[in-house]
Amino acid sequence: MQMDGTRFPGFLRPAAAAAIPAVAFWLACSPLSAGADGAIRGTVEIRRSQSATAARPASAGLGAGPRRPVEFRPAVVYLDKAPGGAFELPRPGRAAMDQRDQTFVPHVLAITVGTIVDFPNSDLTFHNVFSLSKTKAFDLGRYSRGKSKAVRFDRPGVVQVFCDIHSHMSAYVLVFAHSFFAVTDQAGAFAIAGVPPGSYTLAVWHEGEVRETRTVTIPDSGGTVEAAFVIR
Amino acid sequence: MRLGPCPFAVAGLVAGLLLAPGDVAVAQHWPTEPVTFAGGRLLIGGDASVTFGSEDPGWFTYTDYETSAIRRVRAGVTVEARASDRVSFLTEIRAETGVGVIPYAWYVRVSPLASGLVDVQAGRIPPVFGTFARRSYPQDNPLIGSPQTYQYLTSVRPDAVPATADDLLKMKGRGWLVKYPVGDPEPHNGVPTAAAERWDTGVQLRIGPPALEGAMSYTVGSLSDPRVRDDNQGGQVAARVAWHPVPAFSIGVSAARGVFIADSVKQARPDARQGDDHQRAFGVDAESSWGRWLIRGEYVVNSWAIPPLDAPRIVDPLGSHSGYAEARIRLHPRLYAAVRGDVMRFTTVEGSSGVETWEADVSRLEYGVGITIRRGLLLKASVLSNWRDGGRVQRSHLGAVQALFWF
Repeated sequence: MQMDGTRFPGFLRPAAAAAIPAVAFWLACSPLSAGADGAIRGTVEIRRSQSATAARPASAGLGAGPRRPVEFRPAVVYLDKAPGGAFELPRPGRAAMDQRDQTFVPHVLAITVGTIVDFPNSDLTFHNVFSLSKTKAFDLGRYSRGKSKAVRFDRPGVVQVFCDIHSHMSAYVLVFAHSFFAVTDQAGAFAIAGVPPGSYTLAVWHEGEVRETRTVTIPDSGGTVEAAFVIR
Repeated sequence: MRLGPCPFAVAGLVAGLLLAPGDVAVAQHWPTEPVTFAGGRLLIGGDASVTFGSEDPGWFTYTDYETSAIRRVRAGVTVEARASDRVSFLTEIRAETGVGVIPYAWYVRVSPLASGLVDVQAGRIPPVFGTFARRSYPQDNPLIGSPQTYQYLTSVRPDAVPATADDLLKMKGRGWLVKYPVGDPEPHNGVPTAAAERWDTGVQLRIGPPALEGAMSYTVGSLSDPRVRDDNQGGQVAARVAWHPVPAFSIGVSAARGVFIADSVKQARPDARQGDDHQRAFGVDAESSWGRWLIRGEYVVNSWAIPPLDAPRIVDPLGSHSGYAEARIRLHPRLYAAVRGDVMRFTTVEGSSGVETWEADVSRLEYGVGITIRRGLLLKASVLSNWRDGGRVQRSHLGAVQALFWF
């Protein structure tokens, strides 16, 4: 099943429309543990093509146009069901997704519900950020360099973002209802801290799909659990 | 409306591309991006559209004798093969009802400087003149019809000419099927001021940063009659300068001059005065956008010189002024509304019964909406009201809907 560009594990499919696994946090929390918190660390090796989003072949252009940098497209690792009792979300903050060299930077932004995301334009050309996602549909209109517009993401889910002027620009905003998620760095490393003892399903999301899930267990004594994923 | 097998073949090709195992995972998803192979060195994009509109007994929307812009099925595939960072080969193949399969574009692009300030393109290339013909129709066209400057068929033909002003005036307001006594005796449609349905063949140079860029081309055809093979041993020079003083605004000026009349006409009347065979055009275009608004327009002053033959003679070049202005406002992330106003006016000739415009003045107002079903899938609906100062049908109100998919 594909929803807003994202595939969810089977048991979450009935969960509605926009639900990324974090929604399940509110619906199906696991029992609260009393042991020491642990951490999940690991790597996600992406062996799929990482080429930049291609512009449509510009057969109608008088020239090639500006060359764009290759986008870094990280993965997002998260707990499919949040630990019971972990109801306290960090206070929603502010995040930014820049528009630079006709690319959204970062390509993937993972935030908690309630976060306001700024979309500044750092290019010499106009941009027009919009999304048709069920989680958050919006259209910021056209604005120029130095200007910024903001969107508050008040529902969990995946929001795919585009530019109405530059068809090759796309990005993802993943909105979680809990804070047990991490975006991989350039080396593919991730770390999720403060995870209470218990068994969890760890999911790896990349470019619109959940690529792999795995059960991990944080012992009562806490500690760090290692997990390594390979996305092909 | 004739529906040949070719469009289905290309539509099948597009469908096949959706399932092709490219770098983008397209096998299980409806792609929103071009399909790429070889690490992005081979890009394939495609589009398909189905347009259904009212019968057009006044031929206001026809792009040739058989094809109405509001009643056709079209599919296209665009391929860009990047041999290196500096050299690319591009081709666009289109198929549509009534026309068949056309290699709309095929050319090589060389970008000799790493800065990207210079590009040279050779082959069947995009037109330098104006802006509309380079919009990758139909997704860059907020409405369904095309501006009259780029679509409306006048009574001028490159391969047949009137011997007298009276011959010309008899064809007034019926550019869809024109017959003249000199040149090709078969009836055929006339030409628009600037062709957007076909591209010309030649070489083009573009210089400058996006803020101020210039382009010049030399091609074998003319603005009205782009060609693959030359039919008159004369080419066309076209140039354009575009200025973007601020991102919200751009203005461009274009000019073109080329040999228009085919050699077959000159051979039919060797007594014709030499040199009366050119099309000249000058155009101004502007675009402005802010917030949810996009406004743009073009104005073109054009003339075709045809040889003066028999009395009453056509003394001066056949001139036209045409322009359009269009606006689009996005009302919702999925919904926009758009409107375009068009006018075409023509100069006069003196026939046996007096002085009158050589072609019937024509105007159009088109307005409509577009609904985005999902990225890459758009539905449009529009109403086209046409008025013409002559011809069999002088006013016509048409409706059309279009479904459009692209990646």
